[in-house]
Amino acid sequence: MIALAFTLTQGSFTLSIDERLTGRITALFGPSGAGKTTTLDAIAGLRTPASGTICIGHRVVFASATRVNVPPYDRHVGYVPQDVALFPHMNVRRNVLFGRRPGQRLELQTVVSMLEIADLLEREVRELSGGERQRVALARALMSSPELLLLDEPLAAVDLERRRRILPYVERVRDELGVPVIYVTHDAEDVRRFADAVIVLEAGRVTRDQEIKRD
Amino acid sequence: MLRAAALLAVVSLGTVSVSNETLTVSAAISLTDVMDALGRAYSTAGGGRLKFNFGASNVLARQILSGAPVDVFMSADEAQMDLVADAGMVEVGSRTGLVQNQLAVVTRSDSTAPLPSAAALAGPEIRRIAIGDPAAVPAGVYAKEYLQRIGLWSAVQQKLVPAASVRGALAAVANAAADAGIVYATDVRRTRGVRLAFVVGEADAPRIVYPACVVRTSTRKAAARKFLEFLASANAAQIFREHGFLPVARSR
Amino acid sequence: MDVWQITAFTIVAALCATALLLAPGLFLAWVLARRRFPGRALLDTVVSLPLVMPPVATGLILLMLLAPRGPIGRLLEPYGMQIVFTWKAVVLAMAVMGLPLFVRAARAGIEQVDSRYEAVAATLGARPFRVFVAVTLPLAAPAVIAGAVLAFARALGEFGATIMIAGSIPGTRTLAVAIYSFSETGRDREAAALLLVSATIAFVALYASNRIATRSGMRA
Repeated sequence: MIALAFTLTQGSFTLSIDERLTGRITALFGPSGAGKTTTLDAIAGLRTPASGTICIGHRVVFASATRVNVPPYDRHVGYVPQDVALFPHMNVRRNVLFGRRPGQRLELQTVVSMLEIADLLEREVRELSGGERQRVALARALMSSPELLLLDEPLAAVDLERRRRILPYVERVRDELGVPVIYVTHDAEDVRRFADAVIVLEAGRVTRDQEIKRD
Repeated sequence: MLRAAALLAVVSLGTVSVSNETLTVSAAISLTDVMDALGRAYSTAGGGRLKFNFGASNVLARQILSGAPVDVFMSADEAQMDLVADAGMVEVGSRTGLVQNQLAVVTRSDSTAPLPSAAALAGPEIRRIAIGDPAAVPAGVYAKEYLQRIGLWSAVQQKLVPAASVRGALAAVANAAADAGIVYATDVRRTRGVRLAFVVGEADAPRIVYPACVVRTSTRKAAARKFLEFLASANAAQIFREHGFLPVARSR
Repeated sequence: MDVWQITAFTIVAALCATALLLAPGLFLAWVLARRRFPGRALLDTVVSLPLVMPPVATGLILLMLLAPRGPIGRLLEPYGMQIVFTWKAVVLAMAVMGLPLFVRAARAGIEQVDSRYEAVAATLGARPFRVFVAVTLPLAAPAVIAGAVLAFARALGEFGATIMIAGSIPGTRTLAVAIYSFSETGRDREAAALLLVSATIAFVALYASNRIATRSGMRA
């Protein structure tokens, strides 16, 4: 369970959120400028809220009252940003292995076959297509054995056809690794297709949250 | 134990550079050649090792005043030595006048303008006269004093070209940027492109003495005094003369 | 006088100085580029001082610090370590004068690295030092290298501060100091030879620096 109860101010914009996330895939939905990426940044520890608490599972990673603010490198949160941000000076293999901790249980082979990037491993980042980059970034985030995965509009940059091909991978992650996912989108169709729950964000406030039942 | 090891490491790094008997001598740059010769003679005579630091006298004085580890200071003029003395950095009783230099008037080697005496400096054929800058360089101060003494200062003042150093003045003459120059007699021999017009006689010349002293903060005062005594010896006097310097009459 | 001894000494000293300023320079560049803290502007100014002050003034300050009675010299004295008037002073003067140039170039290089890369690296578990070494530095490498070459070229030509704390002592004279000494004592021919060597080295160093900068500019 992910507990978010914080306020974050940036210039004239204020984000205020109080939610408990129990779903395996939670969609963060809303128009641009609503504060979705800011929310992910706060969860990852890249931005500090003005006040409140953030809990991942039973770990408190941020609590303003007790001055707890776990730095990003200790939060065990995997992040695939909007711009993917694969390290340009490393090839695919080194990118994917960057966050790997020695002795961790999750093997490279598992992630590679799950995301089908075996033949990409020795390639340079600049040679990859948009969809390939997304999968590599996803693999990289997974290889750090996160307890929570944050995806920022992973499907937005890719054309419609390719989008359909990436869906199964994210679902695979959810099913085979059991890692909860929060992903940001402003496409209602994506929400309908594979989210378990949705939180709607508008101008820094949650206007709706609900579970999505499907069989 | 760790402290001893660290100490050992630091000491072995540091002591290679300065051994105990090496004297650090800061000397005016115009003394470079004669000091090299004197240094060799000193070690032949069984003296200790010498490390020479040559520079402009005002820079040397500033170094000493800022605490640089100098044992002996030899300045090109009294003014810089006075600066050091006023700050209390001269070892009591160690200040002596070592040698004297003379002023000389020079022209370009191939110049035909006659310059038999000082009066000609005021003449029309000499349009520009190069000297060291009287505001900064000892040689310039002496040149100005000389011109004042013989009453030519106001007459030639407009023609003066102040240079940053004696070298600069000599270069100006050699390159025909100036028709004549007032420099040290010791510099003339080494410089191509200029010839001696005349040496300034004793009657008109200011006393150009190179004072020397032991620096008060020196940690090798005995060795420093020994070196100064050597410089006052007949052996040293001979070497000074060979390089164009005049040993000081023992009146100071 | 030995042209080759003076040249070799100058180049080795400049290399040592450049090596000496790399770590502190990178740290300062990173701190100024990526960190906000009270006194940041002050730090920036202090680091840039040797760039705008007359080198002789910088040399004087160094002299007062390192002289046997100065705050730093005093600490080294009991161990028999002397810096003033030794080769160490030459290296130090070169390093101090080259540092601001290096920091400026390295800082610019670090600033143009997208901080998103560093943010992602942090989420992947990398602590700040690893982020710097594995992500920031490789991406800022061309600017950092150009900065180092520039600092090296500056070190080669350093005179004002050097003459203050290292003096003009046969055996530990750099090209610049030797040229000055020889021209001041009428040894024009030797001075000219050293001048030629000095100009050649400076030319090569600056040319190399420009090539690196251009190449990285084109790639970007």
